[in-house]
Amino acid sequence: MKEINIFCDAIKDVSIIASKIKARPKKIIGYLCSYAPEELIYAAGFHPMRLFSSKSEIMMAEQHLQAYCCSLVRGVLEDSLSGRLSFLDGTVFPHTCDSIQRLSDIWRMNGKYEFFADVVLPAKLNTQSARTYMTDVLNKFKQALEIAAERKITNTDLWESIKKFNFIRKNLSKIYALQSQKPGIIKGADLFAIVKGSMVMDPDEVGQLLPVIVANLEKIDVPKKNVKRIVVSGSICDSPDIYTALEAAGGIIVGDDLCTGQRWFEGEIPDDENPINAIAARLLDRMICPAKHASPTARGENLVSLAKKNNAHGVIFMLVKFCDPHAFDYPYLKEAIEKEGIKTLLIEMDDQQQNSGQLATRFETFIQMI
Amino acid sequence: MNNKERGSIYAGIDIGSITAKAALIKDNRLLATHVILTGYDPINAGIKVFEALLKKAKISKKDVPAIVSTGYGRASVSFADKALTEIICHGTGAYFINPEIRGIIDVGGQDSKAILLNAKGQVENFAMNDKCAAGTGRFLEVMAKALEVELNQLGDFGLNADKPLKISSICTVFAESEVISMIAGQQKRENIIAGIHDSAAARVAILANKIKIKKPVMMTGGVAKNKGMVAALEKRLGLTLIVKDFAQENGAIGAAVLASKL
Repeated sequence: MKEINIFCDAIKDVSIIASKIKARPKKIIGYLCSYAPEELIYAAGFHPMRLFSSKSEIMMAEQHLQAYCCSLVRGVLEDSLSGRLSFLDGTVFPHTCDSIQRLSDIWRMNGKYEFFADVVLPAKLNTQSARTYMTDVLNKFKQALEIAAERKITNTDLWESIKKFNFIRKNLSKIYALQSQKPGIIKGADLFAIVKGSMVMDPDEVGQLLPVIVANLEKIDVPKKNVKRIVVSGSICDSPDIYTALEAAGGIIVGDDLCTGQRWFEGEIPDDENPINAIAARLLDRMICPAKHASPTARGENLVSLAKKNNAHGVIFMLVKFCDPHAFDYPYLKEAIEKEGIKTLLIEMDDQQQNSGQLATRFETFIQMI
Repeated sequence: MNNKERGSIYAGIDIGSITAKAALIKDNRLLATHVILTGYDPINAGIKVFEALLKKAKISKKDVPAIVSTGYGRASVSFADKALTEIICHGTGAYFINPEIRGIIDVGGQDSKAILLNAKGQVENFAMNDKCAAGTGRFLEVMAKALEVELNQLGDFGLNADKPLKISSICTVFAESEVISMIAGQQKRENIIAGIHDSAAARVAILANKIKIKKPVMMTGGVAKNKGMVAALEKRLGLTLIVKDFAQENGAIGAAVLASKL
């Protein structure tokens, strides 16, 4: 499909996307986490762009970070220090895990970018005071963006931006739902490209491409095959090869709670008199990250319901090495899923090192096992 | 040999990182096995080990109606009817040899695995080492070289230790330099080797504990031939390991059993 190929081509080199956006001219604000309020960045006239780990060897970042920091944090810093992110005009760090917070400090002191912001979100999300606090934090971030943009962000700007991102979210959710209804309707690597592309490309272009893909996928039917339905749980996955390896083993991903997947686009921003309150409401109510707290069992309940809703045969925990928040939650999540009679597999990944042989053995055995 | 009998011979080929193994089963009984070094060319190793096995059994390729390949080089055996992982094949192989087996510890050249089987011989759970040679055959090979001991003598040396030493490094490279320091410190070779076995056994025991291994446990893979390593593992796990004659070929045997069910 032509529209899918546009996504696949675009993600091959993010710097090309960046240079096109900069030629408009438009400034680019990078972010590492799905709690970044993209709608605000976009409403200020900037382009919000998700940053992923480096595929290059970590050399310069070693001077700033310990070896026990995850590959995302080390990789993004490496790309920044070696100039591969020179297209950035600024970066925003929402308050999440310790490693990203410390990266924020190093970034502020070593980055050569015009704009920098820490968005110190609440850690506990299920209280009324958290709601008030979240709104205040977003207002403060809005003011910082206004200073950088040298203009006021109006409610009209915000609602236009919200509509745009809601539209992208709705269409991505539809594509996921179609894959779950008709597993195999889209290749895992293509699905990966669409989601990743939506995080880096121009939202206007993404908004035009996605509905065409949805319409085309709705028309297609796939022959019923004996595939194993897999739900993936974890933080980030920046490797299409993982989807391909799982498919080669006979599994299809029908849902996920990844920060670079459903967790990023799940839930639309509700109608509210105040757009900032509306943005805050979505951030507070969507699937939570393990660095945040909603209730002691919020993530477990969410994962069980995700697995059940998608009739998952198995759940694969895809954790980034040295990601403490996810590793901390893993035992109880595994227990919650296995209590439902669903088998699990744990894969620990590192963006710079992947052993495809071992991965294939693990996936093939797991698929046979379930 | 009549056609009916010919139809009942099945082959399994296990291309490991160090050795390539092949097995034939006939009427649900083990007919023959063969082991060669894999070398740098897994495609050629698959062909060679299979040809040698056919010669040994005095049969030809057309007598074998189905072949299953396994091991890290399973995809390079183009003449196999199906490729299955070594975890599935070791499970099937162990169950074929002894259907009572519920736990398997398979230590090969580059991977070590702990496998749980259910009463039907199906894999219930597994754990695998994580891209690190610690606790694998390769670790023992590196150490044997540093100590100038033949790999197949490592086990006996280890059993004759009077005061086993402790290797504290997990990493193979660091452990090797630790061993070299011990050699320089004129420590007894037997004691160093016992330390090496215990260090490797500790890594493998972590995998077994991860899946809460169930008795009876069989040890398979090339490293099962090393008696010192078996003893160190038994001590670490507090149980007796069942080691059969064809432990190294167990994956290939399992693959042959699975070929008979295609």
